[in-house]
Amino acid sequence: MSNFMHKAVLTGAAIMLAGAAWAEYPEKPIEVIVGYSAGGGTDVMARTAAPFIEKYLGDGASVVVKNMPGASGQIGITEAAHADADGYTLGTFNLPGMMARTIDREAEYDTESFTYLANVVNDPNVIVTRKGSGLDSIDKLIEEATANPGAVTVGMSSLGGDDHFMLIKLQELTGAEFTIVPFKGSAPARTALMGGHVAMGILNISEVAEFQEELNLLGVATEERSEFAPDLPTFKEQGVDLVNGSMRGFVAPAGLPEEVEAKLVEAFAQLEADPEFIEAMNATANPVEVVTGAEFKALTQELHDLAQGVWETSPWN
Amino acid sequence: MYSDLLNALPEVLGLSNFLAVIIGVIAGIVVGAMPGLSATMAISVLVPFTFGLEPLVALGLMAGIYNGAMYGGAIPAVLLRIPGTPAAVATTFDGYPMAQKGEGGYALQVAVVSSAVGGIASAFALMLLAPPLSKVTLLFGPSEVFWVAVFGLASIIFLLGGNPIKGLISACFGVFVSVIGSDPIFGTDRYTSGQLELLDGISIVILLVGLYALPPVIDLLETPLKTDGVNSSKLGTEPIWKTLPRMGRFWKTWLRSSFIGIWIGILPGAGGSMAAFMSYNEARRASRTPETWGEGEPEGVAASETANNADTASALIPALTLGIPGTAVAAVAAVMLGGLLVHGLQPGPMLFRENPDVVFGFMWQFLFGAILLILLGGSLATNSFARLLNLPRPLLGSVIIVLMLIGVYSIHGRMFDVYLMLGFGAIGWVMDKLKFPLPPVVLGLILGGFAEENLRLALRIGRGDWTVLFANTTSLVLVALTVAVVVGPMVKRRLAKRDLRTKET
Repeated sequence: MSNFMHKAVLTGAAIMLAGAAWAEYPEKPIEVIVGYSAGGGTDVMARTAAPFIEKYLGDGASVVVKNMPGASGQIGITEAAHADADGYTLGTFNLPGMMARTIDREAEYDTESFTYLANVVNDPNVIVTRKGSGLDSIDKLIEEATANPGAVTVGMSSLGGDDHFMLIKLQELTGAEFTIVPFKGSAPARTALMGGHVAMGILNISEVAEFQEELNLLGVATEERSEFAPDLPTFKEQGVDLVNGSMRGFVAPAGLPEEVEAKLVEAFAQLEADPEFIEAMNATANPVEVVTGAEFKALTQELHDLAQGVWETSPWN
Repeated sequence: MYSDLLNALPEVLGLSNFLAVIIGVIAGIVVGAMPGLSATMAISVLVPFTFGLEPLVALGLMAGIYNGAMYGGAIPAVLLRIPGTPAAVATTFDGYPMAQKGEGGYALQVAVVSSAVGGIASAFALMLLAPPLSKVTLLFGPSEVFWVAVFGLASIIFLLGGNPIKGLISACFGVFVSVIGSDPIFGTDRYTSGQLELLDGISIVILLVGLYALPPVIDLLETPLKTDGVNSSKLGTEPIWKTLPRMGRFWKTWLRSSFIGIWIGILPGAGGSMAAFMSYNEARRASRTPETWGEGEPEGVAASETANNADTASALIPALTLGIPGTAVAAVAAVMLGGLLVHGLQPGPMLFRENPDVVFGFMWQFLFGAILLILLGGSLATNSFARLLNLPRPLLGSVIIVLMLIGVYSIHGRMFDVYLMLGFGAIGWVMDKLKFPLPPVVLGLILGGFAEENLRLALRIGRGDWTVLFANTTSLVLVALTVAVVVGPMVKRRLAKRDLRTKET
C-alpha cells in the first residue's frame, strides 16, 4: 500500500515536473555538444544556427555550443546520447558517419539512442577530375573504369564516410571498379587531384564551389540541381541514378519529454524558411536542407541500413 | 593584384585592427612561453569568440598570436631548456648553454630579432608570391611527402651528431608513439586498449611537455640549493640597440634560414620544428667554427628562431590557396582556416578575388605582427619572464609543474592527457639520464605518422607497385638528398679520420 502511495506520489511529481518543464522550457541555457573542434564545418553549422534557434524558441532562450572533439565526433555524440533527456543537452549529428561508426567500431549508442530533432545541412557529393585529364564526362569515366578495372584512382576523405558510400553506389550501379585512396579529409584529396596524383575525386559540393575553374565537375548527386553550382547537371540527368551526400543535424538523447521535443522540432522547422539563416549558412559553405522529427529518424535508419549492407558485402577495415 | 595589396593597407592601420595585432603578439608570447600552451590551442580557444568580431580584428589577433607564440617558445627554451613549443626544440641547443654562461639576455635578443626577421621574410613571401608558390605544393603528392618525411627523419638522426644508434632508437620510439591511435587508412584501433582518448593519436604537445619539461623540473627540485643557475644580474641584459650591431654577422644565417623556413612551410606536413632543425643543421655546416655549436653559439639560436618564424606565414600559402594547412601537426594553420571560415572566407583560388580586403589585410597583419615582435618581445622577455628565474628553485619548479598540468589538461579538458604526460615525463627522465637524445623522439612522432600515411597512400595509388615511389623527379631529388644526409657524414668521418665531436642534445 505504502509502496503504491509512494509510486503515485512520485508519478504525480513527475507529471508536475514535466508540466513545469514544458511551461517554462527553456528556463536555462541549452547546451549543444559538437563532436569536432571549433572552426570545423559542423561547429560552424552549430554556431551559425544557434542564434536562429534562440529566436524561434523565444522567451530569451539561450543556446551554448560546447566542443568535445575526438575520435571523429564519436566522443561528443556518445556524451550527447548519455546526457539527461531534459532538452538542455543537444548534440550535432553527422550522417552517414555517426551510423557507420556503430558498425565499424564499438559504439555506446545506436539508432534508438536519440530523439531526432532536425537535419539541417545536406552537402551532396560531386565527382571531379583534373582539368586536362580527358576524363571530362561521367560516361567516359565509367567507360575507363570498366575497361581497366582498378586503373582509376579515387581521392576521397576517410573510408566509411559519405564519399566512400557514394563510390560504392557508383560501383554497384555501373559495375565499374575503382581504386580507393582515402586521404585524411577532403582538402588533401582535392589538392592531390589538382596535382595529378590521383585521377578522380569524390568530394562535396561545398568543397569544390571555390575550385570550379581548376577542376572538371562531372555531376552532382542530388535529385535537383544545387544552387551552389546551378550549371552543374545532376547524375540523374545524365542517366546514372546516384543520390548521396553528407548530412549534419541536431539530436537530443532518447526519451525527451514530448512537449520539449515538439517545441524544439518546431523551432528547427522554421529555419528553412528564414532567408537570413539560409544566407548565413551558404556563406559558410553549408547547403541547407531541413528534415525534421520522424522523417529525420527514417533517414538515419535508411543510411544505417545502407552502411550495414555495405559492411556485410565489403567491409572497409 | 598588387594594387589590392595596397588598397587593403588603410583598413589594417585602423585603431581596432592594429590594436588586435598588438594584443595578439603579447598574448602569443605569453602563451608560447608557457610549456603546454601552444599557439594552436590559443587560437582554437579564440575561434568561438571571433564570431562576434569584425573579420580583421579576429584575424589580427590570430596573426599576432601565431607570430608571438613562435618566438615565445624560445624564452623557456633559453632560460630553462624547456621548449615552450615543439618548434623551439632546436633553440635549446645553444640558447640554454648561452644562458648558463650568463648570456641569456643576449640569447633572447638574438631570438627575438631572428624571429622577427624570419616572420617578415615569410610575410613578404605570402604577400607577393602566394599564387606561384602554391603551385609548388601541388608537386607534392603522397610519394613525395613520404620522402620529405624520410629525409627529415634521416637528417635529424644523422646530422645532429652524437651517437647515431641512440638517435635511431629515440626516433624509433617517436615513430612508435605515432602509430598509436586509429589506422590512417582503415580507421582500426592500434595500441589504444579501447580508449577513445587515444583514437586520434597522441598530441605532440603532450609528448613535448612530458619529455622536455618534466626532467628539468625534477632536476630543479632535486637540487634545491644549487645556485649556479641564472639570475637576472647574470642575464647580461643590455639594451637591444646596443646588441643589435653585434647581430649583423648573422645575415647569412638569417637569409638561409628564412629560405628554409619558407620552403618547409609550404610543404605539406613538416612544419616549424623540422624547419628549425634543418636550418640549425645547415647553419652549423656552413659555420667556420662548428665545434662551438651546442655550447652557446648565438648563431644557433638565430638559425632556429629565424626558421621557425619563417614558416608561419608561408604555411598559410597552401592553406589559403588550396585549403590544406602546410603544417598539419602543429595545426595552427588548420585552426586558422576555421577562423577564416567563421567569417565566410572559404579558402581557394577565388578567395583572393572575392575578399581581397580581408585576405590582403590579414597578410599585412602578419607583417606587422613580425615587426612588432622586436618592440614587444625584447622587453617583455628580458624584463618579465627572465625575472621568473630569480624565484627560489623549489618555487620555480612548482610554478612550472602547475603550468604544465593546466596546459595539458586544457588541450582537450581531460585528465587522461595529464596522466599520459606524466608517463612521458618518466620516460624522458630516464632517457635524459641514459643520454638518449630527445629531439628524434619529437620528430619521430611528427614525421612518423606522415611517412606511414603517405607511404600507404602512395602504394594504393601505385596499386602495390613500389616503383611508384621513384616515379618522378621530385621524388628522386628527395631520395638523393636523403642518401646524401645518411652517407655524407660517414664519408666525411672516414676522410677526416677522426670522430666528430659528440654532442649532447
